Amino acid sequence: MKTIEFKQLDETLYYEKLENGLDVYILPKKGFSKTFVTFTTKYGSVDRTFVPLGESQSITVPDGIAHFLEHKMFEKEDGDVFQKFSEYGASANAFTSFTRTAYLFSSTDNIYKSTETLLNFVQEPYFTEATVNKEKGIIGQEITMYDDQPDWRLYFGTIENMYHTHPVKIDIAGTIESIDGITADHLYTCYNTFYHPSNMLLFAIGAVEPEEMMAFIRENQGKKEFPEPTPIQRFFEEEPTDVAVKERTLHMDVQKPKVYMGLKAKDTNLSGREMLQHELSVQIALELIFGRTSSFYERVYDEGLIDESYAFDFTLEKGFGFALIGSDSTEPDALAKAIKAELEKYEKGAQFASADLERIKRKKIGFFLRALNSIEFIANQFTRYSFNDMNLFDVVPVLEELTIEDLTKAFASIQGESQQTVFKVLPTEKGA
Amino acid sequence: MFKTIPFAKGVNLHIRQTTQFKTVNFSIKWRRALTAKCASERTVLTNVLQHSNAKYTTTAAFRSFLDDLYGTVLYFDTSKRGNEHTVMMNMETVNDQYLANTSVLNEVLGIMHTAIFEPNLENGVFKESIVEREKKMVIQRIESIFDDKSRFAQMRLQEILRPNEPASISANGTVEDIQSITPASLVAAYESMLTTDKIDIYVAGDINEEELVAKLKKALPFKDRIPEEIPTVVPQKHPQNDYVREQQEMKQGKLHIGFSTPVRFGDADFAKMQIFNGVFGGYPHAKLFMNVREKESLAYYASSSYASHYGLLFVVSGIEAKNEEKALNLIKEQLVAIQAGNITDLELDQTKAMLTNQLKESLDSARGQIEIFDQYKDLPEEFSVEAWATKWQAVTKEDVVDIAKQVKLEAVYFLSGKEQTAQ
Repeated sequence: MKTIEFKQLDETLYYEKLENGLDVYILPKKGFSKTFVTFTTKYGSVDRTFVPLGESQSITVPDGIAHFLEHKMFEKEDGDVFQKFSEYGASANAFTSFTRTAYLFSSTDNIYKSTETLLNFVQEPYFTEATVNKEKGIIGQEITMYDDQPDWRLYFGTIENMYHTHPVKIDIAGTIESIDGITADHLYTCYNTFYHPSNMLLFAIGAVEPEEMMAFIRENQGKKEFPEPTPIQRFFEEEPTDVAVKERTLHMDVQKPKVYMGLKAKDTNLSGREMLQHELSVQIALELIFGRTSSFYERVYDEGLIDESYAFDFTLEKGFGFALIGSDSTEPDALAKAIKAELEKYEKGAQFASADLERIKRKKIGFFLRALNSIEFIANQFTRYSFNDMNLFDVVPVLEELTIEDLTKAFASIQGESQQTVFKVLPTEKGA
Repeated sequence: MFKTIPFAKGVNLHIRQTTQFKTVNFSIKWRRALTAKCASERTVLTNVLQHSNAKYTTTAAFRSFLDDLYGTVLYFDTSKRGNEHTVMMNMETVNDQYLANTSVLNEVLGIMHTAIFEPNLENGVFKESIVEREKKMVIQRIESIFDDKSRFAQMRLQEILRPNEPASISANGTVEDIQSITPASLVAAYESMLTTDKIDIYVAGDINEEELVAKLKKALPFKDRIPEEIPTVVPQKHPQNDYVREQQEMKQGKLHIGFSTPVRFGDADFAKMQIFNGVFGGYPHAKLFMNVREKESLAYYASSSYASHYGLLFVVSGIEAKNEEKALNLIKEQLVAIQAGNITDLELDQTKAMLTNQLKESLDSARGQIEIFDQYKDLPEEFSVEAWATKWQAVTKEDVVDIAKQVKLEAVYFLSGKEQTAQ
């Protein structure tokens, strides 16, 4: 077991790569009474075309299968795993993102029993045609619920606009039609390919004793047999730089229009410290241009183009990336135009000011230190960073070193008219 | 947990020295009796105070100053509890020890004073342009509920169950009351909040208590006051078995059911009622989740929540519109099953373990500590997790049956798509 100390942050991280390839990280937090454990596979909704374990031909599986698999992991021959976690007083949950599927629990008691339950239920698949079919009704209602949420439709509509071929444009849960085609065999194929320990990471944080916990996990894993790890081959079609659709509108039963400007990112094949520096640079550039202290924000606020729903964000993963800027707005076209005009200023050479950069750096450092109070934040973010060969605890040093040149260079990856798209959700027309 | 120090008459300071967090948290709560008019004024007021002040007259200037203080968080908010309306100002700042050679605490206390006591006035009233714009912002916030079908359905159910009562009055107020606000009426609301509200001040973090109390006295010069009594919620007569169906352009049906219970927060039977809610629909092991979702596959979510200050219990579920009757019957059957004593030892043990764990977990954040203490501090006995765990442990199956028998269905609200419902 290795120990990694972060002196300035007063944290010590314990790490071991187990014989079966599983990465285990443990971070004890003083003063906490709960422990939070996440068990995550590097497998998400975008991994739909791949070579199944032990085969040579690639296959494409139905949309929404990673999420479907996540649901089905909880059901076992002897019942629902939630029952067991409840017995131990643990709150369990799971989520599927574009690139990850995470299983987790938090608890103040029975930590080892819950950890054992977590490891075992994720490593003992049980799928039958009957249980798979039963789940279709439940996930069908989950999909319908999201279909009725205008903010979700706005988010996905904008991503759909940006991508020609990349599966990030497909809703994580799939559609009612696509999940209808899912079988128990599909689930086993995906499970066997992506749930090998060498493709997974366990993070335990909180009121945890590192030596003891590591030994407990090591022993649990040592008792199980896994095939030799083989590199997973995933396939993605060529994705052009420009957006697929420049502008689109969806009508829904909403009071007020909603609009997002999407900026599709180039340079999405990064990892490690380079990726961290790039990601932080783009985030800070967006903050400088569109943040609450920017002249842009003050202007659109005064003009009544935005309300409290105004937001901007940058997402970057291997193979895709995008920035989103938008708000509920009575004048969605005027807002989109204002965002475009602001971006144009920077394309035409407007410069970031170094005093502003220093201020936003301080803000970000403060945000990061606050976030370290949240053990959920640390576990989830650490895992995401680690899957991209970045280290969460490098954030402060990398932030401190950022320069105006870094910002300008990174920001260029989301600049360019052909990378911009607009998506609007408008109220259904009367009488329609 | 927190040490309570009288700060002025009608104003209490609750302070907690702890090394658990990398930040220091402050929370100031102003309380008075809840009415739609007062909620409206105070919500607009929080927006106006958050916008700017006499020292930093624009949002950009105000926010830039906070960013420079390592992104110190400062925000106002409103909430309600029983018959009480609360204005909150929350602040969170990085503990000096994690910053190389910098001290931000004094500056933070300075901006706290400025944000509360040095408003951005013109001729003795708030600036009209700011007031008008923030009125619009709050109105838009209220209207945006329509776009979130779950929240909208829940709001409608509460209106049907308890019209024009605190249980259905929004902490944000109403569009009509907001429209009638003027810069002068807002200043009046501001002054009465500062001088007559009951106030609680919270601090949690790695601080030097004596030094901080002295500094807070300067930063928060609240005068003595005798706050008006806030009446407790009185149960009223309501029509039974209301059934309201409404339609919008949407796909999923939102089934929201309201029940009443005579048991309120802090009553002798409160712990039993919490256990009942847990067994009925509070957790993934509960009857609603296990039957409506896992057994019948009718829904993705089906759960209950206990609004203890109003003596109400809500069940919510998202279903296909054609399953309205089936789901409703299934939900009613779960209540009947509990009333008939159909509760396993496992269900009871799971619920007790979950309630205890949830309470312990919420104390792992400074905000959680403040909110829990604030809620329990007025009960006669001193708050501790152990005391509550003991209360829950003592609850028997028979207790839950007795409590379940007092739970009465009062109203059903069903919101669904236009083309799907046959009725």
